[in-house]
Amino acid sequence: MNTLATPAWLIVTLREVETKLRDKAFIISTLVTLLLIIGSIAVTGFLATRTTQFSVAATDQASLTVLNQAASDAEDQLKINVEQLPADDATAQLDVGELDATLSQGPANKFTLTGSDEVPDKLHGALREATEKVLTARLLTSAGLNADQLPGDGALTVTQMHGDAERASMIKAMAFLFSFLFYMSALIFGMPIANSVIEEKQNRVVEILAGAINLRQLLAGKILGNVILALAQLLLFLSVGLFAAYLSPVQIPFLGVVSQVAGWFVAFFLVGFLVLAGIWATLGALASRTEDLQQSSGPVVGVLMAVLFIGIYAKDGFLVIASYVPIVSSVAMPIRLLGGEVSLVEPLISLALTLATCWFTILFAERIYRRAVMHTGGALTLRKALKLEL
Amino acid sequence: MLELQQITRSFAGTKVLDEVSFTVPRGALTGFVGANGAGKTTTMRIIMGLLNAHGGRLTLDGAALDAPTRPNFGYMPEERGLYPKQPVIDQLIYLGQLHGLARGTARTRAMDLLARFGLADRAKSRLEALSLGNQQRVQVAAALLHEPDVLVLDEPFSGLDPLAVDAMSSILRDYAARGVPVLFSSHQLDLLDTLVDHLVIIQEGKILANAPASELRTAQASRHRLALGADAGWLRTEPGVEVIDLSGEHALVSFGTPADGQRVLAHALSRGTVTQFALHRPALADIYREIIA
Repeated sequence: MNTLATPAWLIVTLREVETKLRDKAFIISTLVTLLLIIGSIAVTGFLATRTTQFSVAATDQASLTVLNQAASDAEDQLKINVEQLPADDATAQLDVGELDATLSQGPANKFTLTGSDEVPDKLHGALREATEKVLTARLLTSAGLNADQLPGDGALTVTQMHGDAERASMIKAMAFLFSFLFYMSALIFGMPIANSVIEEKQNRVVEILAGAINLRQLLAGKILGNVILALAQLLLFLSVGLFAAYLSPVQIPFLGVVSQVAGWFVAFFLVGFLVLAGIWATLGALASRTEDLQQSSGPVVGVLMAVLFIGIYAKDGFLVIASYVPIVSSVAMPIRLLGGEVSLVEPLISLALTLATCWFTILFAERIYRRAVMHTGGALTLRKALKLEL
Repeated sequence: MLELQQITRSFAGTKVLDEVSFTVPRGALTGFVGANGAGKTTTMRIIMGLLNAHGGRLTLDGAALDAPTRPNFGYMPEERGLYPKQPVIDQLIYLGQLHGLARGTARTRAMDLLARFGLADRAKSRLEALSLGNQQRVQVAAALLHEPDVLVLDEPFSGLDPLAVDAMSSILRDYAARGVPVLFSSHQLDLLDTLVDHLVIIQEGKILANAPASELRTAQASRHRLALGADAGWLRTEPGVEVIDLSGEHALVSFGTPADGQRVLAHALSRGTVTQFALHRPALADIYREIIA
């Protein structure tokens, strides 16, 4: 009876996981997030591939030229069906909805685009450009010039020495995603560590537990349970998101790089979360009631907000520094890795730095926890807690 | 036998326990009494390894208790509470596992104990849905689950209704009868009278008494209660008699020697009727008051 079949920390870990998995709010919020991830990828794919069609009739030759120009210039997702009709027929067909719009030339090179009850912006835009192009060409021809000789869009091409525009926008999107996932998980799974420490302290269950097992094992089990949950949820989100992106009919660029960096992100997430877990446990031990946590958690939530904003907005030198600061590096280093210009040594050094911090934080948390968790009466300050005797 | 030898403990320079020594014998219920702040809870926490002693020794059957945790001790802390939101059976299984039981064994034992406390049908209820008395029974079940070698209970009777007190008493007696040392603290002195076999009295961190209840009673048993047919005032002037309490025909006295007692009895009979001449059996509550006075 005295020999522990299962180590105590594992029993505590399993309980943490089990309790959370039975929590309906947790299950529902996870499912909703999953649906949002799949949904947003599906919607992006759908919007990107959907083609809009317009049927437009020209009532004269000039209008027809404009329409043909527009049809040939139209981007991939826009199709303009062109026909030429007498004005009366065009009006009649527009009225019954067989046409989306009619185009006719008025006096002094003015064109009129008529819709039934509205003119779609997309069509309007396409025709405005085509009209300008046709009229300019006509004007140039009459002046004896060739339109191709005019300076046009091609006069200035944009290139970047590092990466390209597409990559930059991918990094932006992923930076937001990483930052947000980290922020969310740190709160969703960090706060419960503090709360469960307070619950046991408040109900004095901790005295019974401490009489049976080592407090170190209790703390370890608690942290480990929440780390497992956080990591499992993160992996679920990332893999479902990447898989949905992979299946999506749209070619999503950089999927390979993103998948690779996602792996790094998981590693950085793990150590960053461990540091935070130690901090949450300390806060829980210092508090005497759940209400105390609202005050004491302020700085941690502040740090998390900072991580979120640094992840989304930090650039260049600032980002490089951030990628070596524990907790912040969990987001900043993966973002730098997305750029593809970071040598392997850098994330390894950063990871080692965070691991070292993690070690100290957990040791410190355990020190505080063992002293403060038995304390009854008011919330403690760190200094007071360190002075407590076992 | 659980034994404390010269245990001391201070908090922030204030001595809370001053060379506390007492024994908790096997096969007996040991009552631990003292005023609020006398050091009962601190002592119990040191026994449980929740606090370190600054000096002294703690032994169980002669072997020092060194490990910080006591997996085979059953403990019920003064401030009650398990996990309010969790079903009763779940938390009992969890605590049983932490005490080294396999999950299945923990479940069987927990159900047995709940049945014994008349709570079998509440096993799946959340703890907070139970009445206070029933929550306390669950708490006791938690302390007994792993069939502890030593039982330490801080105020197990506080907040219980008379029926629950009876149930708790019979459970504690049961454990004591199995040879488990049982130490419990209580404020309800009248309760101790019928329950405890061994009494430990603590005041301001010092142990004032540590003896079997019968011994304490005998030490105080040189007193006699007298009831006469007429006023007993003449006892005040009798040699060899110390009057402790006197009202009309009733007196509580202490005799110098047994011979003094016999002489006074003969004298009283010669003066008139004697309706009572009895050895006074003091209540433990009285003994306690006497000792701490």
